[in-house]
Amino acid sequence: MTVAQILALLIFVAMFVLIVMDKIERQYVTLGCGLLTLIVVFGIVMRNTDAIMATLNLRSIFTVGFWYIGGSAEEASSGINWATIIFIAGMMVMVEGMEKAGFFRWLCMRLAKMVHYKPIPLFIVFMLMSFVLAMFIDSITVILFLAAVTVEISRLLKFDPVPMILSEIFCANLGGSATMCGDPPNIIIGTSLGYSFGDFITNTGAMALISLVFVVIYFFFVFRKELVAEEAEVVDTSCMPEPKDAITNKKDFIISCIIFACAVVLLITHAQTGLTVAFIGGIIALITLIVSGKDAVQLLKKVDYNTLLFFVGLFVVVGGLEQTGILEVAAGLIGKVSQGNLKLMVAIIMWGSAVASAFVDNIPFAATMIPVIKSLSAVQGVDLSTLAWGLSMGTDIGGSATPIGASANVVGTSVAAKNGHVIGWGKYCKTAAPATIIVVTISMIFIFLRYC
Amino acid sequence: MEKQTIISIGREFGSGGHEIAEKIAKDMGIQLYDRGILDAIATDLNVHVNVLEPFDEKPRNFILTRRVNGYSNSMEEILADMQFEFIKRKAEEGESFVIVGRCAEAVLKDFDNLISIFVNGDRKCKVERVKEKYHLSEAEAFTKMTRHDKKRKQYHNRHTDTKWGDSRYYDLCINSSSLGIDKTVKVLENYINARMDK
Repeated sequence: MTVAQILALLIFVAMFVLIVMDKIERQYVTLGCGLLTLIVVFGIVMRNTDAIMATLNLRSIFTVGFWYIGGSAEEASSGINWATIIFIAGMMVMVEGMEKAGFFRWLCMRLAKMVHYKPIPLFIVFMLMSFVLAMFIDSITVILFLAAVTVEISRLLKFDPVPMILSEIFCANLGGSATMCGDPPNIIIGTSLGYSFGDFITNTGAMALISLVFVVIYFFFVFRKELVAEEAEVVDTSCMPEPKDAITNKKDFIISCIIFACAVVLLITHAQTGLTVAFIGGIIALITLIVSGKDAVQLLKKVDYNTLLFFVGLFVVVGGLEQTGILEVAAGLIGKVSQGNLKLMVAIIMWGSAVASAFVDNIPFAATMIPVIKSLSAVQGVDLSTLAWGLSMGTDIGGSATPIGASANVVGTSVAAKNGHVIGWGKYCKTAAPATIIVVTISMIFIFLRYC
Repeated sequence: MEKQTIISIGREFGSGGHEIAEKIAKDMGIQLYDRGILDAIATDLNVHVNVLEPFDEKPRNFILTRRVNGYSNSMEEILADMQFEFIKRKAEEGESFVIVGRCAEAVLKDFDNLISIFVNGDRKCKVERVKEKYHLSEAEAFTKMTRHDKKRKQYHNRHTDTKWGDSRYYDLCINSSSLGIDKTVKVLENYINARMDK
């Protein structure tokens, strides 16, 4: 190993440890480590300004291909993935607009009313809603609203919200895995490797949908005692809030629904229209801001810039690993262990990603693994997309296993705890870990049958 | 009492800080807030206080919990935030009270009427007090004392920008072993009265 490789690896490990320790805000950790990578690894040790430029990747933003892909051109995977950052920023603006109009609360209340607040139908409908919403909207927002409404309804109807919250969290993560825009690892994988929304929906989407059937049945059986007992109780639903009361402004509500529908259509058709996710994110944000009028500044203020900065720093640190060639060593190791056997490679990537994502943030993990699977595909001559779908499902679903594996888990358990429902590791993993194993196994069998 | 007075008392385990806080509250005729805050929070949440007690004044386990976008799934952190909100609300309502621990000197630092005190003690005296109170051997008492102080320090330093027990961050730091509990209370009450007359 060269000095540059050792330093890049040390910075990467330090970044992970500091993120876990949570003493310093994570965006400062990644930005600081990114700066160290640029100065120490690229500047002092490698004396390579090209590596700095490639990692900053600023030029790509000013190319036509960044916004519009006529053919099958791929976006650069090296360095900062600006497409991911612009897309996430755009979706954040859109979600803020929807939130302000009361869309999420209205949807939750509307569906709850539709099933007459009956615990079993409510349980299933909220799981499905969590899955569908998370396909297009970040899982944190989905769970924030779902869990809050679940707690509110459970208080009024006097039932335990924990089974519902646990199953909603799992379905949010599962829904996120179904599309290119559902979960940050998928956005990074899609934009880095040039896959479209259609590629994801026909692969990870199919796996997620099949898994959803098993997951709904699984959670129903796990919590059937509580659900059946709650179903038997006669409750007064007259005290329930009216869904329409959640809408803060009817005009804003209609506009935010139209913008959301446009975003979904643009994303589904982006392979046909040639518009990149960066363009879609940018245009959706622009439209939201224009129609918001004087509230635009307020929406912009609410954007989570810390997360965007976290991504910038993270991509630079991973760029350090990539430029120094250390990830090729990791790829070589997987290749050596699997001896060119695609099934074994997929299994290692899926289960390795799942286990790692259960304990560490799956975003840096996925960003790190992309160059690894690229190298593995090139050296071993195996289909890159097969490895990509394995990585996607492994990282997205693996995070569901523990309370700290994914953002939705943290937010969901936090909302529950703030309302007096403590969900410890034991309570959480007892149901979520087997569900994770079920979904990863189903996904692996799917990949084996379809591609290996 | 017309003028609002808030007295925060930080303390080392075994120093008698809690007893001192109780006596001051009683002498001054004001409310004492300590673990009892948990009862109020538990009532609000409609849960038994036993559910919350294991997480009181404990540091967050940074390996088993995470914070995302300001949402933490550490019950220790959530409970700490709830308690901070509780004491802030009481202070904003103009209530006079004595508050034990809970990073109160940092949480309420913007309130002009805050008097912040830290009570420490000699190791020998603290061990004796813990031995008596909990019926432990000397070694057990020392271990218990060390463990609690470590946790209090971690808890405090995690939630504030100041350091637990560092005299720069308190109005008064006092060693309760030198004068004993009652005389320490007297000294502190003199100081509090002088501050209130100011």
